[in-house]
Amino acid sequence: MKGVLAYIRYKLAGQLFILPALVIMIVFIVLPVIWGVIISFTDMSLVGPKAMRLDFVGLLNYVKLLTDPDFYNSIRVSFFFTIFSALIGQAILGLILAILLRMRGIKGGGLVALAVFIAWVIPEVVAGYVWGAYASKEGLFNMLLSYLGFEPVNWLFRRPLETIIIANIWRGTAFSMILFSAALEGIPKFIYEAAEIDGASGWQRFRYVTLPLISYAILIDFILITIWTFSVFTMVFVMTGGGPGGATELWTIFAYKRSLLPPYEIGYATAAVNIMFIIVLALIIVYLRLISKFKI
Amino acid sequence: MIKAKGRIIQLTIIYLVLIVTFIYFASPLLWLIFSAFDPEASVEFKVPKNITMKWFLALVEPIGGAYAEVTPIMWIINSLIIAFSTAVLVTILSIMGGYSLSRYRFRGQSALLNAFVILRLMPPMVVAIPIVIIYAKIGLLNTYLGIVIVLTALILPFTLLIADGYFKSIPIEYEEAAMIDGCSRFRAFVKVTLPLALPGIVTIWLMSFVIAWGEFLMPLVILRSPYMYPASVGIYYWFGAYGRVEYGRISAFSLVYSIPTIVVFLVTRRYLTKGIAGLVTR
Repeated sequence: MKGVLAYIRYKLAGQLFILPALVIMIVFIVLPVIWGVIISFTDMSLVGPKAMRLDFVGLLNYVKLLTDPDFYNSIRVSFFFTIFSALIGQAILGLILAILLRMRGIKGGGLVALAVFIAWVIPEVVAGYVWGAYASKEGLFNMLLSYLGFEPVNWLFRRPLETIIIANIWRGTAFSMILFSAALEGIPKFIYEAAEIDGASGWQRFRYVTLPLISYAILIDFILITIWTFSVFTMVFVMTGGGPGGATELWTIFAYKRSLLPPYEIGYATAAVNIMFIIVLALIIVYLRLISKFKI
Repeated sequence: MIKAKGRIIQLTIIYLVLIVTFIYFASPLLWLIFSAFDPEASVEFKVPKNITMKWFLALVEPIGGAYAEVTPIMWIINSLIIAFSTAVLVTILSIMGGYSLSRYRFRGQSALLNAFVILRLMPPMVVAIPIVIIYAKIGLLNTYLGIVIVLTALILPFTLLIADGYFKSIPIEYEEAAMIDGCSRFRAFVKVTLPLALPGIVTIWLMSFVIAWGEFLMPLVILRSPYMYPASVGIYYWFGAYGRVEYGRISAFSLVYSIPTIVVFLVTRRYLTKGIAGLVTR
């Protein structure tokens, strides 16, 4: 008996130390997610009679979503936002910066990297506030353009989607830049020397040496920034609140407005969230597959 | 000669790209700094003619409007309470969890680590809406406890992975030596490995502090009273509250609010860069 107790203390006690963390994560993340799935099959509302007495409505919320132009609009905005600000903007700019900053004899690169880095780490609300001011009619963006002879306009009204895309490239490029810098660092120098001896031009060296060697980093970068950008809420919410007229209403903003502001349709909004979560989940699983392959 | 000319063109293009990029990234930050010190602060970008501290001093004064006694400095204190409590809780739980993960092998361990990755990458909005319903039922709505717990739950998947990795990087032989000298397994960990892991533990504390400090969505959905807002929701509320935006004061406030974050990230920059590099290098 004593031996068993000692065994438990030696072998099991240490494993139990993770329990408090697990309990908190299960109760405050996993259960809410499951609860979100359940209420998406009900007509729950945040206020009124449907807050207390709710009925199961089956797939009604999901069926309704399929015919909701506002939902389709939010999907369209989210996809545009993600493709242009993450896959095109952040990834390409990040790669260009990573290459330029690694070149020998280029001065001032550290300062550029610092500005990119700070844009990434300041609180998201501050980023939203700054860009809300920056893109307004009297903001710096227009000042710069007026030197080129353009009339000042309020960019958040005239070109809202483009503006939040540019703002989010500003916000997120640092991650891609750091990731690609690390990937480039890992390429042995002699490969370039060999390519140069063989007479490869700068472009050829990039196309046939660099790109294939960092293809894994590019894939990882694409998946992660797609997940993060697709989940963005705060910065755009602070800048535009989803307006004007739904032009910048990402799915996160759509869900927030529908559930926690009038008409308080919690069941309906969680159905929309769940559909989007499935998309993100698929990406996360691809990511897990990739990193587990890479480790072997 | 031709080669030199090509080099000059190349350098011109490179510096042009760098300068444009620098303007793109630095100018919004410069506007924030300038307008915080400019007595005539406005949405316009201008180098201040005079420098004033009045916007910073005015942060102790009420913001005006419907909630007469709400001051910006109150929001900073609220943020401190939330971020500090969250960071302490996260750090303790991460050390405990990291000990189990790194010093024991149990069934389902790799599945657990994968689950952490899923939780870490999940859109926070998936949790935000149901948590409001649950909190309304169990009375955690409009409380700091509710925010601290949900933030802890959201940050843990990230910091547990850090703790696991950090503890594993410290050779277990040190602990074994201590055990031969008569320490229990747990004491050996506390006496030998924990002090060695101090840089990692500090990093976990700092990271969870700034994540909680910057968090917007959870306090937005959980809190109702502007008296209880943290700085993040405060800025949003203040920015959108009235027709005329007080740019000087909001900029000064945003700057004060951003400084701890910037300092922490600059301090941990190398560690962070190494962590990101770890994603793509063996």
